[in-house]
Amino acid sequence: MSPLRGFASALIALTGGFATTFGMLFKRKPTIEYPSVKKQHAPRFHGLHELRRYADGKERCIGCELCAIACPANAITVIGAENAPGDRRSPGERYAARYEIDELRCIFCGLCEEACPTDAIVLTPRFEMADYRRGSFVYAKDRLLVPPQAGVGTAPDERPNGIPADLGTVAEQKSTVDIATGYDATNRGHILKTERRGLAG
Amino acid sequence: MVVKVLTEGIGEVDLCDIEIYRARGGYEQWRRAVTALGAAGVMDATNRSGLRGRGGAGFPTARKWSFLPANGRPRYLVCNSDEAEPGTFKDRMLLERTPHQVIEGILIGSYAIGSRHSFIYIRGEFAEGYRIFKAALAQARAAGFVGERIFGSDVTVELTVHRGAGAYICGEETALLNSLEGRRGEPRLKPPFPAVKGLYGEPTVVNNVETLAYLPHILRNGPEWFASVGPQRSPGFKVVSVSGHVKRPGNFEVPLGTTLRELLELAGGPLEGRKIVAIQPGGGSSACLFEEHLGLSYDFDTMAAHGTMLGSGAIVFFDDSTDFVKAALALVRFYAHESCGQCTPCREGGHWLEVTLERILHGGGVESDIDMLLAVAHQLTGINLCPLGDSIEPFLASVVKRFEGQFRSYVRTLPVPA
Amino acid sequence: MTTLPKEVTLSIDGLPVTVPEGTLLVEAAKAVQTDIPVYCYHPKLGPAGLCRICLVEIEKTPKLQIACNTVVAEGMVVRTQGPKVEDGRRAVLEFLLLNHPLDCPICDKGGECDLQDYSIAYGQGMSRLAERKELKPKAIDLGPTIVLDDERCIVCQRCSRFDEIVTNERSLVVKDRGQRDVIATATGAPYRSNFSGNVTELCPVGALTSKTYRFRSRPWDLQRTRTTCQQCSVGCALNVDERHGNVLRTMSVPSDDAVSEGWLCDRGRYNVGFYADERRITSPLGRFGDEWVQLSWDDAIELWATRLEEALASAGSASIGVLGGGRLLNEEILLVRHVMRALGIANVDWRTGRQRQASPGARGGTYDDLENAQAIVTLGRPPSQSAPVMDLRIRKAVLRNGARLISIGAHPASSFVPATHLARLSDLAGTLAEVERIAFVWDGIDAALGAEAEAALAKLAAEGKHVSVFVPGETPNARGAEALGLLPAGGALDTRAQLEAARGGTLRILSIFGANPVLHHPAGAAFVREALKRVPFVVATDLFLTETGRLAHLVLPAKAAFEKDGHSFDLTGAVHAVNAAHGAPPDALSDGEVMIALAAHLGIDLPSPRELADWATASPATIANGLGDAALCGSLAPARDGAAGLRLAIAAHPFAGGGTVYFDDRLGELRPRPGLLLSPATAQAAGIGEADLVDLAAGGRVLHDLVATLDGNALEGVVTIVDGLPEAPANDFGEGETVTLGNVRSSRALAGSVV
Repeated sequence: MSPLRGFASALIALTGGFATTFGMLFKRKPTIEYPSVKKQHAPRFHGLHELRRYADGKERCIGCELCAIACPANAITVIGAENAPGDRRSPGERYAARYEIDELRCIFCGLCEEACPTDAIVLTPRFEMADYRRGSFVYAKDRLLVPPQAGVGTAPDERPNGIPADLGTVAEQKSTVDIATGYDATNRGHILKTERRGLAG
Repeated sequence: MVVKVLTEGIGEVDLCDIEIYRARGGYEQWRRAVTALGAAGVMDATNRSGLRGRGGAGFPTARKWSFLPANGRPRYLVCNSDEAEPGTFKDRMLLERTPHQVIEGILIGSYAIGSRHSFIYIRGEFAEGYRIFKAALAQARAAGFVGERIFGSDVTVELTVHRGAGAYICGEETALLNSLEGRRGEPRLKPPFPAVKGLYGEPTVVNNVETLAYLPHILRNGPEWFASVGPQRSPGFKVVSVSGHVKRPGNFEVPLGTTLRELLELAGGPLEGRKIVAIQPGGGSSACLFEEHLGLSYDFDTMAAHGTMLGSGAIVFFDDSTDFVKAALALVRFYAHESCGQCTPCREGGHWLEVTLERILHGGGVESDIDMLLAVAHQLTGINLCPLGDSIEPFLASVVKRFEGQFRSYVRTLPVPA
Repeated sequence: MTTLPKEVTLSIDGLPVTVPEGTLLVEAAKAVQTDIPVYCYHPKLGPAGLCRICLVEIEKTPKLQIACNTVVAEGMVVRTQGPKVEDGRRAVLEFLLLNHPLDCPICDKGGECDLQDYSIAYGQGMSRLAERKELKPKAIDLGPTIVLDDERCIVCQRCSRFDEIVTNERSLVVKDRGQRDVIATATGAPYRSNFSGNVTELCPVGALTSKTYRFRSRPWDLQRTRTTCQQCSVGCALNVDERHGNVLRTMSVPSDDAVSEGWLCDRGRYNVGFYADERRITSPLGRFGDEWVQLSWDDAIELWATRLEEALASAGSASIGVLGGGRLLNEEILLVRHVMRALGIANVDWRTGRQRQASPGARGGTYDDLENAQAIVTLGRPPSQSAPVMDLRIRKAVLRNGARLISIGAHPASSFVPATHLARLSDLAGTLAEVERIAFVWDGIDAALGAEAEAALAKLAAEGKHVSVFVPGETPNARGAEALGLLPAGGALDTRAQLEAARGGTLRILSIFGANPVLHHPAGAAFVREALKRVPFVVATDLFLTETGRLAHLVLPAKAAFEKDGHSFDLTGAVHAVNAAHGAPPDALSDGEVMIALAAHLGIDLPSPRELADWATASPATIANGLGDAALCGSLAPARDGAAGLRLAIAAHPFAGGGTVYFDDRLGELRPRPGLLLSPATAQAAGIGEADLVDLAAGGRVLHDLVATLDGNALEGVVTIVDGLPEAPANDFGEGETVTLGNVRSSRALAGSVV
């Protein structure tokens, strides 16, 4: 190859390269000024969990531990307890006395959400969980449970004479409730932002 | 042709009075059995008579007796008077109108099998029959026919009257034994059969009132007389309870082999301007026959050959005004209510059929419900602990198949999805 | 020599199976690892034919047959699979699930439920029921231990059959009929039984659940350890289920045919809450004056060793006493004995309660002997209270084999099975003439009665009869403590003598291992307290600060039975392994470990672990020369004073005691209330009505505010109180003593005053 031809081809390559660079100067920047600006994730993004409630404020979680056994990362610990007849935390006889998710172990696969018979545990689009201590990644009910006013859906009825509600109907409704109410994950994020500013930022 | 064997004298004289009964030859066969024939003689006569059980199953009586093991244990005879099969009211008549004949039959049967203590289990609702029977038994006891050393021999037959509490299932022999022992009236698991392990764990025979009541007559007139009547394999007479859409319902004693049409005539025929469309020939548990079957001979084997049974001998005639959905619901509800609830198919299946039929009747049915009725009735049949669960399907299936139009008229036809 | 049963060969799913004649098909299938589903059938309860799920196809039989009630026959061809069988099972499952609630996520049985498992195997995915499921009551409080869910019940009647066939208590029944039927108690009263927990294990669905376990875990969370129950001397095998370091439940071991036959009593099953009780001692405590101070183990052992050395040097080994051992494991007993012997201490006695003797002499029997006995004679306290699961054997012997049950003494005969009561042993003469196999059950308390029984049974044995003897212990390993040598040897002081020496001021050190003589020793609480107060140095190992522990100068935190490994003897002398099922509190040591530490401090050589294990698992030596052996029991005269008046009987109760039950909050409803039991006629003569408050007195000693219970089964002229209640300690009183009842306050008047 002659030196001239070599120079010419180098110039072409250089021009091509700079063309890309100059071209980019006038395009919209993909970088966002995090944390002052935040990316809007897809509605079904698998982020931080939350435990939902019914519209009447009752916890949806019945402490059944199906999420815990479904979890491939062993990140969930649930310890059930019996509802006091006068003060039911959830419909039916059982509620989760302790509900903990180790978000460091969690792989955000969403199997807990799939396993849940009452749509209690859901993954929100929230993703900001950074902290300084490992222990603070273990989220318990105090941080997972949405506030009572953020409840959605109708809890199964308590029956007369103190007989607990029939949870069978809840499990049957599960697959239809989302479609019926048009409930989606962006809504959940909104609730969290307004109700728990301190956490959701 | 109406005969008068068991029913002889009923309506003419007061057979509850032991003197009148005795004046007509009553308790003579009991005396003859003890003093002349001996237990083997009675057994032999019964065997030769070809007498089959009149309670429902139609099992040869002498063969039933022969199953008792000769093990030296006490034996019991229990007379089943828990007559609760829908449409049956013959035992009630025998108890109330001719109690001594029943007592004599029980005594002869007890003697034949060697039972020193026998029982009669009277249906709870038979308050009047219970009272009359108790009074008759007191008379018989006073006359020395019941108790120890009868007619100076060493024969002892005690008879205890037990009144049920109104459960249909206690007509099933093992449920009856449970109830008699003071336990919950629910059928026992078989084997062991009562003949081996029955009342209080001892060999036991359970016979129907009518079966036992024929015994004195078989002894009096000879087994050949009994065996010569009717078809060869189901000989003898039968008190038939005829009810339903007939002019003159009631009990009619006829030789087995009488046609259904004759029985219909005996009961006065169908109501004015009506036509019989279905016949339930053997109580609530039997499948329906239809108008084309009116010429059939009424006996155990002919009925069985046509997919139904003679059962307890209760014929219900249905005419063309019948709503068979309602009729089916009435019977299904009866069985669901009377299920003892111990075994699964009967407990759950009966109830399911009941609520489904109710829904159909109240307009909530869809077309597929009719097939489901048949399927559910079929799948609960043949896997039960006792025959009660198996009693639901025959009538339901036979009328659903025959009168499908009536059932279809109740259900909504759903639009076929495009 | 028994003849081998005839065998039959049949084919199950094409595989040939040979089983003994008379085997049920469902059992024969297990021989070829074929699972035939069952709900109502249970190997221990037999067939019931109710659930109809075990349908199988048998060649030449038109209809499907139930495997649970079909006896095998030669040449039978059985199919447990195939479309016909699966269709039948699908039908039955559809019926079972028809009105069964879909609340598996809540239900405690979820994960170990037969209905779930077989629904997966044979069920269809959906229900054809268009109507709403039938609603029935849920969460019914059936009794102090059990919660019932009628909706989940599939009416298999296992519970009610258990209550009839096994316990014969017959309180559970099926009520109503058809689809409306429910499980209930016959009288409507709460379901109370010493064996109530077994129904929760028998229940194939989640209809019967234990109050102590409700909603606390899932079966897959649990770590299971097999061990041996250390709540009484029967020695039932036990599965301990632990989660996150908490014992959540105990389950029976169905294969434990030699001892428990798969049943547990409620004490063994439900007394598990105390491990985590906050009152448990978790570090060594020293008492200086009235002040308790936490000590380190090093300081505690040094204190003990120093005091021992001082006492040995100044007053000799006779000034040192050692009590307790009936709650220890064999290895621990051996270590205590070894260390004490090395120090020359002979004042050792395990008998800190009423029991004087634990071994049955040369005629000890196995539980099979008991079951096969044709006559069973119980002497003293009824075993129904002191050895509940053994009592199930007795009931089985009576109910199934027609054995005669005879009780002798101040306690009435069993009220659950037909039994005879005789006042004196001499009344027995001649009644056992036609009986071949006889079992004697003696409580080991009244030595005179024991000696009398020994004479009687020696006579029976001389007549060629097979006699077997059983001594249920007051403490779980009484047999081990006695056989392995925690006894005063060569004229050394037994418990009472040690206490008397203490009162006399000659005892310098008293070491108490897992015992509470203040509550249990028949010398009486006041006597024992006074004695302990005069000993300069008392050491006690225990789980809790009991009445005795509070008087000690050094209290050492012990490990509970499920926190240590070792072996123990049951009352028949069989050795069982005890395995640690969960971690002890960090500062608790087993008594064996304490002994090792003490030996190290005192420079005592210990046997090798191998030697220890060999000794601990060897069959126990025959210690006693028959029942009421004078050499063992001493000449302790019974407190019978012969005066006219009401006689006192002191009974055991499974939930009495000042230890693990007392410190288990969840058992409050099961603990006996301080009370007395007497027959209606006796009560009437004394002017006492049901539930009245009464004071019981004898010779200046008084028990206040006992609630009277009238029981038609009680003996005339006898007042029965319960031993070992901290609220009303009965050890001030002697069995057979004459007592007076006074200060009767009518329950009606009391009720009025409250209003």
